[in-house]
Amino acid sequence: MLSVVLKTFGDLMSALVSQKKNLFSGETLSGWLFISPMMFGFLCFFIIPVIAIFGYSVTEWNILSQDSTFVGLQNYQEIFTENEEFWLVVRNSLVFAGGLVPLNIALALVLALALNQKFTGVVFFRTVYFAPVITAGAAWAIVWSFLLQKESGGVNQLLALIGIDGPNWLREPNWAMFAVIMTRVIKNVGLNMILYLAALQSISPDYVEASSLDGATPWQRFRHIIWPLLAPTTLVISIVTVVGSLKVFDHIYLMTGGGPESGTLVLAYYIYERAFEFFEIGYASALAVILFVLTLVLTVGQWLLKQKEQ
Amino acid sequence: MIMRFIKLTTAALALGMTAGVSQADDLRFTVWTGSEAHLSMLNEFADGFKATHPNTNITFETIPFADYVQKISLQIGGGNPPDMGWMLEGTAPTFIQSNILADVSDTLQATANYNFEDLSPSAMGLWQKDDAVYGVPFSTSPFVIFYNQSLLDAAGLDNPNELHAKGEWTWGALRDMADTLADAEQGIYGFETMDGQGYDGRVWEVLVPLVRSYGGDVWQGDTCTLNSATAVEAVQVYHDMIFKDQSAVPPGEMGDFFNGKAALTYTQISRASKLDEADFDWGIAPMPSGKAGSAPIIGQAAVVVFKDSPNRALAEEFLAYMTNEAGVARMAEFFPPARASVLGSDAFLNSNSRLTPSAMRIVANEINNGSVMPSHVNMPVIKSATRGTFDKLWKADADIEAVFTEACSRINKQLTRK
Repeated sequence: MLSVVLKTFGDLMSALVSQKKNLFSGETLSGWLFISPMMFGFLCFFIIPVIAIFGYSVTEWNILSQDSTFVGLQNYQEIFTENEEFWLVVRNSLVFAGGLVPLNIALALVLALALNQKFTGVVFFRTVYFAPVITAGAAWAIVWSFLLQKESGGVNQLLALIGIDGPNWLREPNWAMFAVIMTRVIKNVGLNMILYLAALQSISPDYVEASSLDGATPWQRFRHIIWPLLAPTTLVISIVTVVGSLKVFDHIYLMTGGGPESGTLVLAYYIYERAFEFFEIGYASALAVILFVLTLVLTVGQWLLKQKEQ
Repeated sequence: MIMRFIKLTTAALALGMTAGVSQADDLRFTVWTGSEAHLSMLNEFADGFKATHPNTNITFETIPFADYVQKISLQIGGGNPPDMGWMLEGTAPTFIQSNILADVSDTLQATANYNFEDLSPSAMGLWQKDDAVYGVPFSTSPFVIFYNQSLLDAAGLDNPNELHAKGEWTWGALRDMADTLADAEQGIYGFETMDGQGYDGRVWEVLVPLVRSYGGDVWQGDTCTLNSATAVEAVQVYHDMIFKDQSAVPPGEMGDFFNGKAALTYTQISRASKLDEADFDWGIAPMPSGKAGSAPIIGQAAVVVFKDSPNRALAEEFLAYMTNEAGVARMAEFFPPARASVLGSDAFLNSNSRLTPSAMRIVANEINNGSVMPSHVNMPVIKSATRGTFDKLWKADADIEAVFTEACSRINKQLTRK
């Protein structure tokens, strides 16, 4: 929906720039009118807040007292030079993204390849893997918190059946990070699986058939035919997954609260903490700008890398 | 036809405007309880207030305890504060300094028969600044031990009150009792921390009672004293209960006293309502003594009015109504009062149908001798800044002194921060 609106907006802007059409001519005016409700919401609830964040980030603003003072780049200076916790948070965010993104994409691809075959019950399995995507995030996190208890949790009881003494998943820093990554992957992998499945089904059988006739092995067929044809989908999936992983909040909030020992304290949660527990909106805004830039750099980086490959 | 349409439209508009004029006043009152019994009692107040203010509708909005301060702050920051609400003692200094609570002194003084002097000065300490009054405590609720009498009977042990009567009710005795009553095969623990949140949202409620009963405190003046030898010794007792005895519900587990899954816990008496359907006998007792003797802790909460409430005058009236003598006596069923007249009355001893008069006497004694939890202007920041550090306590090989030293370095920064 948003992409359609943005495309229409782009067409209107290019028409305006090229002056081929009058801004208020019948057809252009209709276009403006059609997209205006969506653009209004987009402007009010996205563009203006994003711009405002840059403004807030150069202030010292206490949300309770509403005192706001212009401090220039002081917040950024403090974040980069005085706040030791910040680098831990960045590290945690990158570990979370670095663990989640490859795992999510690889699993989605394997599932899509498996479920692209024709066998009895394939629709059932597609539904099963997609079901977590439509499950409420809060319910998902809370149920997993119970399942991951040390003694009475379902996961450790299953592990005990095969003689493994499971860890205290959400109370040990390294295991907690592993646990939140895994549960997040299981929650969202279905969406990427469906995207890959759609891409696989759009590949012409002629390519596969031709490669078979040329004697290609299944692995060669995948490596040299299917994988390159999936590249545009992989790019979209990787960008969306990276952005989603850097923005993760609810999952961390409900499962670990950033703990234990700040082991799962990621940037989005840290922003929340500084804003609504420390009441430092200016400082939190500066952190949000850094998250924005980090996300932008990673997204553009992926885009350029793919362009170069192609 | 057109005239008819115009008439109908103007009539509808007029009706709408009239409705606007006679529209009811809505008060939004935030609380952190979701208990039906509590909400039912609060709604009684709303109904009672309606008798004199027929156009007033009061809505009690439950916000989970762990998120309460954050959500209220967000609402305030977003320009949509509640009209009034509950406020914990720990956050009072921050909110008062931020100038977002209404000074209700004029309204209280102007309310007939309010008897302001009856409110205990020690209970009002946090809520008064010079002549201004920023809240009225509705609950000065001491921490008390809840014990499962059925399990004690089965094990043939004296209950905590019997030990208290003999002068033997100490943290050491509690530890032994928990160790005896823990039954791993039945999934029953000996002891559960306050509301099962002692490793997360209520870690301070675990540390403070222990440390104070051993003669220490978390800070004195602007200096953190949590890393003192007495504090370390005190917390070691609880640490041993978790990891040596394995009698306390460990981190990452759930063992609810109120469902019979733990033999002992401590919390406030408002939780007694959770035992209405308990299939075991239970009782309450004073907190155990430490090396420095008894050090009861009082958790305090007040009703406040937010300064930017659009219905501030009405909210202040409702506050006065809720906290007058009759109101406080009614609330005493769940929330021990800050009014001396109510606390010392027979009515108070009989106010809670779930607790016997002797149990209520324990509550009254703990209130009289207790001290409130630590509070500071930067308390929310102190809690956030030490959360990750305190997580390090809950490991079998934790170095408690090192953890407290790290916590103190964080706390000291906030104690001196303006």
